[in-house]
Amino acid sequence: MPSRRRTLLKVIILGDSGVGKTSLMNQYVNKKFSNQYKATIGADFLTKEVQFEDRLFTLQIWDTAGQERFQSLGVAFYRGADCCVLVYDVNSMKSFDNLNNWREEFLIQASPSDPENFPFVVLGNKVDVDGGNSRVVSEKKARAWCASKGNIPYFETSAKEGINVEEAFQCIAKNALKSGEEEEIYLPDTIDVGTSSQPRSTGCEC
Amino acid sequence: MSSSDSSSSSSVDDPNPNPKPLDNQFESLNLEQESESTIIQNDDGEGQQDQESSLNGSLNVNRNNHEQDDRIDGGHVTSVLWRRTNSEVEVDGPSSPSSSGYAGERGSSGASEDDEIHEVANHGVIDGVFDSQAAWLPGKRHVDEDDASISWRKRKKHFFILSHSGKPIYSRYGDEHKLAGFSATLQAIISFVENGYMDELGDRIKLVRAGKHQVVFLVKGPIYLVCISCTEEPYESLRGQLELIYGQMILILTKAVNRCFEKNPKFDMTPLLGGTDVVFSSLIHSFSWNPATFLHAYTCLPLAYGTRQAAGAILQDVADSGVLFAILMCKHKVVSLVGAQKASLHPDDMLLLSNFIMSSESFRTSESFSPICLPRYNPVAFLYAYVHYLDVDTYLMLLTTSSDAFYHLKDCRIRIETVLLKSNVLSEVQRSMLDGGMHVEDLPGDLLPRSGSASHLGQHQQPTDSPGRFREPFVGIGGPAGLWHFIYRSIYLDQYVSSEFSAPINSPRQQKRLYRAYQKLYASMHDKGNGPHKTQFRRDENYVLLCWVTPDFELYTAFDPLADKGLAIKTCNRVCQWVKDVENEIFLLGASPFSW
Ligand SMILES: Nc1nc2c(ncn2[C@@H]2O[C@H](COP(=O)(O)OP(=O)(O)OP(=O)(O)O)[C@@H](O)[C@H]2O)c(=O)[nH]1
Ligand SMILES: [Mg+2]
Repeated sequence: MPSRRRTLLKVIILGDSGVGKTSLMNQYVNKKFSNQYKATIGADFLTKEVQFEDRLFTLQIWDTAGQERFQSLGVAFYRGADCCVLVYDVNSMKSFDNLNNWREEFLIQASPSDPENFPFVVLGNKVDVDGGNSRVVSEKKARAWCASKGNIPYFETSAKEGINVEEAFQCIAKNALKSGEEEEIYLPDTIDVGTSSQPRSTGCEC
Repeated sequence: MSSSDSSSSSSVDDPNPNPKPLDNQFESLNLEQESESTIIQNDDGEGQQDQESSLNGSLNVNRNNHEQDDRIDGGHVTSVLWRRTNSEVEVDGPSSPSSSGYAGERGSSGASEDDEIHEVANHGVIDGVFDSQAAWLPGKRHVDEDDASISWRKRKKHFFILSHSGKPIYSRYGDEHKLAGFSATLQAIISFVENGYMDELGDRIKLVRAGKHQVVFLVKGPIYLVCISCTEEPYESLRGQLELIYGQMILILTKAVNRCFEKNPKFDMTPLLGGTDVVFSSLIHSFSWNPATFLHAYTCLPLAYGTRQAAGAILQDVADSGVLFAILMCKHKVVSLVGAQKASLHPDDMLLLSNFIMSSESFRTSESFSPICLPRYNPVAFLYAYVHYLDVDTYLMLLTTSSDAFYHLKDCRIRIETVLLKSNVLSEVQRSMLDGGMHVEDLPGDLLPRSGSASHLGQHQQPTDSPGRFREPFVGIGGPAGLWHFIYRSIYLDQYVSSEFSAPINSPRQQKRLYRAYQKLYASMHDKGNGPHKTQFRRDENYVLLCWVTPDFELYTAFDPLADKGLAIKTCNRVCQWVKDVENEIFLLGASPFSW
C-alpha cells in the first residue's frame, strides 16, 4: 500500500447542490461533461496524479453532495483536508451567499490547525450560460468577498466549456501542497492504522 | 412428455421431508378439472378486498382491453370483461401454523403500473426486451403535469407522500408543488380516516373504494403515504408497496425526520429528499418486475458453490475487521453477503439498499461514501456505506457504524477486489449474467439422476435468445407439460429463485402481468382472514397457475392455459426436485439465518 505521506494531497469540494462541483471534477479528471444532473450521494472519492515542481503528487479529491440533507451530517471526511474548494454558480445569488456558510461549516468540522491561513480556492462556475447574460453575481462582487476572507484565489470557470478548469486545479494543487507540508507534523500517517487487521482464516461462513 | 397420470410420480423424491408430494394433496381436486368457475375461496374477512378481483380479477381481463381502459379517469368508460366462465380456481385448506407466523408480519406487496408500458412502447423498445428492467428510463416523468391535467388523471397508479399538514413530499407523477391543492384534499380525507381503526402494527390504515379505484392510505406518524390505483391489485399488495416506499424514505433520512415535524408541524420536507426522485421512481418500477417486492426474499446470482464460497470467505475476512455488513451484488442479485457477528440483514433492507445504489448514478462514477439507514435494522440511526462498482453491474457495499471508516473500507475493498480477481469470481459473475439462471426448458426429466455433476444449470442450455428458438409466439412452448415459469421461495433461507423468462412470456408487459398474477396468489395464500392455504390451482385464459405452500418453501408456477392438471402437478414436484438438486448454485447457503 503506498504511503499517503507527502505525496497525497486531500482536496474537498463544497458548494450548493447543482452549482457544478461534480462537473468540474469530471472535466478536470476525465475531460468529460454531461448536461444531465446526477445528484451526488454522500461524497465521491477520486484521485488524479499531478506533477508539480518535478515531483509527482496524488490529488485525492472529495466531491461532496450539496443536497441539504447531507449538510447536517457532521462530515467526517473534512478532516485532514489540505485545501478546500468553494464553488458557486455565477447565475445564482443564493449559491454565492451560501459560500460563507460552507466556509464556516468547513472550518468547524475540519478544525484545521491554523484556520486563518487554511487554503481555500473559490470557483465561480457556469460562466458560459446564456453567453453570460443570465449572470447575477459580478466578478467584482465575488473578488471582493474573496479578498475579505484573506485573499482567497478566485477563478471563473465553465465545466461545460472547460474554461479555466485546468488552471483552477493547478492552483488548488499548489495551495494544497503548501498546506500539506505544514500539516505533516500534525498528521503522521494515522489513516493507515485501521487497515492493518490480520486476515483471518476463512472459508466458513456458518 | 411423461405420463399424465398424476399419481405415478411417487417415485420422485420430495425435496422436502415434511410435506407430502403435491399430487397427493390434489387427489380430490383432480376430478374437478372440467368444472367451470369453481371458487373455493373463503370470504375475505376484512371485506376490503373485492372478492372477484382477488381471485379471478385481472387474470380474466379481456386482453384487448387490458391496459388501455382501466384508468384513473372516472369518466373513461371501461370495457373490461369479468369472464368467470372458463376459469377454475381451487384452493386447498389451511396449512400448518408454522407458515402463518411468517405471513402474519408482512403485508404482501409487489405490483405494477401499466402506463409504463405505454411509455416504453413510445420509445420503441418493447419488442424483444427480455429483461424488463432494460426498458425503464430513470427519472421522473411528466413533471409538467398537475392535478388538472387529463393525462395526470389518467395514470393508472399514483403514489404520494405528504406530511400531516398536507404538504406534498413526493408524487410519482407531476410536480409536487403544483399538486399542493390535491395534497390538501388528501390530507383532509386522511384526518377523517385517522379517526378510524388501527391495524395490528399500530399504524392507522384505510382503504377507500371509489368505483374501480382503490385509495390506500398508510399513516406513519407525521408522514402520510397514499396510493390511488385502478390496477386491481389486492389491498395487501398496495399496502406493502407503500410500506416499501416509506422504508426507502427512511433509508435516505432515518426516522429522525419525525423530530423536524415535532418542532415545526409545517416543516417542508421536499428539500431533504432533493435529488432522490429517481430512487423512488425506480422502486415503484420494481413493483412490476422484481418479485422481491412482494416475496420479501432476495435472490442470488447462480454461481458454482466454490465460487460463491471464495467470495464469502474474503467478505467474512473484512467483516471480522469491523465491517458490519459486506455485500457483493450484481444488479439486484446477491453474489455473497456476510454480516458481522449476530448482525442480520432483512431482505427488504437489501431490496431498498440495492435500489438506492443502482438508481443513483453517482455511485457508478467513483468510490462513494454515504450515510444510509437500514429501516429494518435500525430505523433511527445512520450507517455509513462505502460503495464501489467492480464492473458495470457488480458492486460492493461495505456498511459500518463509523463515519471515519472510509479509508479502512477503501483498503478492505482493495483486498476484496484483489482476491475476487485472482480467484476469477468476477469473471464467473459476468459469465453467469450472460448464461442466466434456471430455464424451464432445462427442467430435467423424471428419471434422470441429478446428483454430483458440476453444472446442473447450464447443461442443456442454449443461449436464451438464440434465434429460431421461439419462432412460434403463441404456441405453448416452454418447459415440459406446458410449464412457462416458476418462482421457488425458500422460507428458511429467505431467498427465492425465479426461472428465466422465455416464450411465450417474452415482453415486459406479459412478465408484469404474470408477476401481478403471482402477487395475487401470494396475497391470497397469505391472507390472514383465510389462513394460509396449502395449494391453489387456477385456470383462466391466460395461464394455469399452481401454487404450493409448505412450512419450508413456496412454489408459484405458471403453465400454458391448456396444460393438463395432473401433469402440471407432477411437473411442480420435478421443479422442487430440480431446485433441491442445484441449491448449492442458486442459493447462498450457510449464511447466518436472517432474523427480525
Ligand atoms: N452550462 C453549464 N452547465 C453546467 C456547468 N457545470 C455544471 N453544469 C450543469 O449543472 C448541473 C449540475 O451539475 P453537477 O456538477 O451535478 O452539480 P453538483 O454541484 O455536483 O450538485 P450536487 O451533487 O447535488 O451537489 C448539471 O446538469 C450540469 O450539466 C457549466 O459550467 N455550464
Ligand atoms: Mg455532485
